[in-house]
Amino acid sequence: MPEPATILCVDDEQVALFLRKAVLQKFGFEVVTASSAKDALRILSTQRVDLVLSDLLMPEVSGTELAKAIKEKYSGLPVVVVSGVNEIPPEVRYADLFISKLEGPVRLCERLREVLSQSRSASSAT
Amino acid sequence: MADNEKVNILMVDDQVSKLLSYEVILGDLGENLIKATSGREALDHLLKHDIAVVLMDVSMPEIDGFEMADMIRQHPRFQKTAIIFISGVHLSDEDRIQGYRRGAVDYISVPVVPEVLRSKVSVFVDLHRKTRQLEKLNRELEERVEQRTQELRESETQFRTLANNIPQLAWMAHQDGSIFWYSQRWFDYTGIASDKFDGFAWRHVVHPDHVARVEDGLQRSWKTGELWEDTFPMRDKDGNHSWFLTRAVPIFDSQGSLVRWFGTGTDITHQITAEEKIRALNTQLEQRIAELEAIMQVLPVGIALAHDSECETITGNTALCQLLGLGPDQNISLGGRSDSPYQVFRDKKRLEMSELPVQRAAATGKNIGTTELRVRLMTGEERHVLASASPLFDENGKVRGAVGAFFDVSERKHLEDVLRERADLLDLASEAVIVRDRDGTVRYWNHGAETLYGWTRQEVLGRSLHHVLKTAFPVPFSEIEDSLDSVGTWDGNLIQETRDGQKITVASRKALNRERHVILEINRDITSRLQAEEALRQTEKLAAMGRVAGIIAHEINNPLEAITNAFFLLRDHPSLDEDARYYASLAEQELSRVSHITRQTLSFYREAKQPVRLSLSALLDDVLELQTRRIQLSQIALEKRYQSEGEMQGFPVEIRQVFLNLISNAIQAMPNGGRLRVSVRETGKYNGSVPGISVAIVDTGAGIRPEDAKHLFEPFFSTKSEKGTGLGLWISRGIVQKYEGSIRFRSVRLTNESATCFRVFIPLARAQAGARPAFAADSIVTSKVAQGSRA
Repeated sequence: MPEPATILCVDDEQVALFLRKAVLQKFGFEVVTASSAKDALRILSTQRVDLVLSDLLMPEVSGTELAKAIKEKYSGLPVVVVSGVNEIPPEVRYADLFISKLEGPVRLCERLREVLSQSRSASSAT
Repeated sequence: MADNEKVNILMVDDQVSKLLSYEVILGDLGENLIKATSGREALDHLLKHDIAVVLMDVSMPEIDGFEMADMIRQHPRFQKTAIIFISGVHLSDEDRIQGYRRGAVDYISVPVVPEVLRSKVSVFVDLHRKTRQLEKLNRELEERVEQRTQELRESETQFRTLANNIPQLAWMAHQDGSIFWYSQRWFDYTGIASDKFDGFAWRHVVHPDHVARVEDGLQRSWKTGELWEDTFPMRDKDGNHSWFLTRAVPIFDSQGSLVRWFGTGTDITHQITAEEKIRALNTQLEQRIAELEAIMQVLPVGIALAHDSECETITGNTALCQLLGLGPDQNISLGGRSDSPYQVFRDKKRLEMSELPVQRAAATGKNIGTTELRVRLMTGEERHVLASASPLFDENGKVRGAVGAFFDVSERKHLEDVLRERADLLDLASEAVIVRDRDGTVRYWNHGAETLYGWTRQEVLGRSLHHVLKTAFPVPFSEIEDSLDSVGTWDGNLIQETRDGQKITVASRKALNRERHVILEINRDITSRLQAEEALRQTEKLAAMGRVAGIIAHEINNPLEAITNAFFLLRDHPSLDEDARYYASLAEQELSRVSHITRQTLSFYREAKQPVRLSLSALLDDVLELQTRRIQLSQIALEKRYQSEGEMQGFPVEIRQVFLNLISNAIQAMPNGGRLRVSVRETGKYNGSVPGISVAIVDTGAGIRPEDAKHLFEPFFSTKSEKGTGLGLWISRGIVQKYEGSIRFRSVRLTNESATCFRVFIPLARAQAGARPAFAADSIVTSKVAQGSRA
C-alpha cells in the first residue's frame, strides 16, 4: 500500500471545500485546502502535493487559469478541474481532467485515482 | 286698156249735118264716135263714158263751146280731158283758146279740113291711149308697191316677234344711236313701261359706273359703223344689277349705207359669277398650296416629293434635309448611290436607290406601308426612321411622282432600348416586378414574378392580378387605394398563392405612376425569411434557455454537490444509528436523481471555438455505428465506399450532425428495407470545378416528390409529419454553407424503385482552413447532438 497521495483542494466556497476535503479524506487522501488560486500557488511553493483539485468558477483567478499557471511552473503536477457548469471552457486543455460536480463522490475519487496513477507512471517512466 | 281698144270720141254740135260730116271724116280712125247736139247731152256722155277727146263747136245756141269747156273743166275728173274747139277764126276766139292751153286743148278753124281734123283728133286719141296705158302701169306699180309694203310689214312683224322671243334683250336704233325699239324682254327686265321710253332710256338702266364708257363706245361705233361690244351691269326693275354682254350690229341697205343698228344684251351674270367663283377657288387653291408648303416646311416629319415618275428630282422639306444631313437645296434622290451623303439600311441590308420607299411607290404605283429604316449619315451618325410613301397620279391615272413621309424615331428607339434594358434589368431582379392597371389588369410581369408565382408572363398578362394570386390583404383594400391616391405608395405584407397553391407571404411595395393610371408592384417573397426569423427566434429561445440553464446549473449544481458530499459522509457516519444511516442513504439516492435530472435538462454544451482535424470517413463510421441497430431493424443493406479518408479541419459536432441528419433521413425513408450506400471521395480540379471532398449518401427509399423538392431545405418543412422538426436539412445546409460547401440532391422515382442521393461537397480550400470563424461563434446546437458527440 503506497503512501497516501496529497491533494490540494481549491475552492472559494468554504462549505463546499470543507465537505469535499472530508469526502477525499474518507477515501484515504491527504488533503490540503486553499480558498483561492493565489492561496493555492503559495502553498505549492512551500509544500509538495500529488494533485491539484480546483473549482472552475472562482473570483479573480479561475480554475483553468490556475491550471495554466501550475503547468508553467510544475509541468508534471496533474490538475483536475471540477465545475457545476456543464460547459467545457476554452482553456480546459490546460487541465488533465475536467469533471462535473454532479458525477458524485465515488466517481470523482475513481477519476482522481486514474489521473494519479497515470501521473505516477508518467513520472516513473521519465 | 289694151292698145287696140277703141277709145271714145265725143262730137258736140248743134247742127246734125256737121256732126255727120265729122262722123265721115273721123270714121277712118276706127274709134267709137259719140254724138251730142247740146252741152247737156255732152255732159251726160262725159259722165257715162271715158272720153278720150271732145270735139266741140264753139258757136252753139244755148251754151257756147267755151262755156261748155268751163263747165267740163270744173269737174275734177275732166280737168285733163282733151278738148278740140271748131270755130271760125276770130281773134277773140284765139285768145280764149289760148287761155285753155295749159290743158290739152287745140282748135280747128272753119272750114274744116278733114286731114287736119283727123290728125288733130288722132294726136289726142293717141295721147289718151298713152295716158291710159301709163295710168294702168302706174296702177299696177302701185299695186306692187302696196304688195311689197305689205310683205315688208309682215316681215318686220315676224322679226319683232322673233326679237321679242330670243332670250336676249333686243333693241334697234337709228343711225344716230337713238333707240326706237326695244324688245318686250327689255321692258320686262327694266320695268320701264313701253309707252314711256325715249331713245336714250338705256342711260338710266346701265350701271352709273359704266355709263360713260358705254356712251364712248357707242359714239365711236355710230361714227365708224363698226360693231360694238361691251360688258356691264344693268339694273332690273327691282333695282338689282345683272351683268350683260351687249352687242350692236350695224344694218346696211343694198347700197351699203348704214340704216340702223340692231342690238342684243345677253345676261352673263351666271357666267360672271362662275368666273368669279373660279377665280375665288383659284385664289383659295393658291392659298392652300402656300399653306401646305409652309406646313411642310415646319412639319417635324420629313416629307419628300418626287417630281417625276423616274424620281430624278426629289425635294424635301426642312425636317427631311435635317434628318438626312443635307443642305436645303440638295437633291434627295441621291439616296441609294454609293457616293451619296447618306446610306439607308433596312435591318442589316443596305438599300439600293430603287429599293427606297418613294422610288418604290413611283415605280409600282402602290402605297408603301410604314417600314423601319436606318439612315447612316456621312458623320457616322445613325438615325432610325419610320418611312411610308404614296404614288402621285396625273389626270390620266399615270404616275407623275411620289410623296414620302419620314419620321425620326431615333429618340424613341433610344428610349425603347433603354426601356428594354431596364426591362431586362427588371427581369434580373429576383423580386416580382409587376405593372398593373388601376383595375388590377396585369400589364407587365417580370422573370422574378414568373419564378415567384409560377405563372408565366403569357398566362397572366391581361388578367386580374389579385384574382390570379388570391391576394389576402392585411388591411381593407380601400385603405391601400387611399394610400396610393394620397401619397402614391403603399408598403405592407400580403399573403398570396402561387400557381401550385402554396401560400406565400410577400413584402409588397406599390407605387402609383405619375399619370396615376398604372401601379407598379414590387413583391419580395419573405416566407423563408419569416420562417427563418421564426427559426431564429426558436434558436434564440433555446440559446436563452441555455444561458438560463447555465446559470441555474451553476447555482444549483454547487449546493447539490455540497449536499451530495454531505450525505455521502453522513451515510456511513459511525455516530448514527441504523435508522439514521438508512434515512441518509435514502436522501443520497434522491439526490442522485436530482443530479441526474439537472444533468439531463440543464446541461447545454458549447463546443470549443477552434476547428480540429477530423476524418470524414471515421466520423461517418461513428454515425453509422450509432445507427447500427436501426439499420438492422429496417433490414437495410449498408455499403461503404471510402475512396478517401476525407480529412478536413472542422468542428466535429457540427459535421457529425450533418451526416447524422442525412443518414437518419435515409434510414427513415426505407422502413421496409433497401440499400444504403455511403461514399467519400476527393474530387480533383477538372472542368473548371473547384476541388474538394464529396460525400454521397444514397438510399433506395420512397424518393422525393417533385412538389416537395424545392421546399426541402426550408425550415420547418418536413415530410415526416410529427416525427420531424423540419429543421434537420435547413440546419445541415447552414452548417455546410459555413464551409462554403453545398448539399445537393437528386431523386429518381421509378415504378418499383427509386433512388435518392444527397451529396455534400466541401471545397478543399475551406476543408483545409476550417469553417469561417465568423459563423463558428454562433454555433449553438442542442443537447441531443452533444450527447452524440460523446457517444
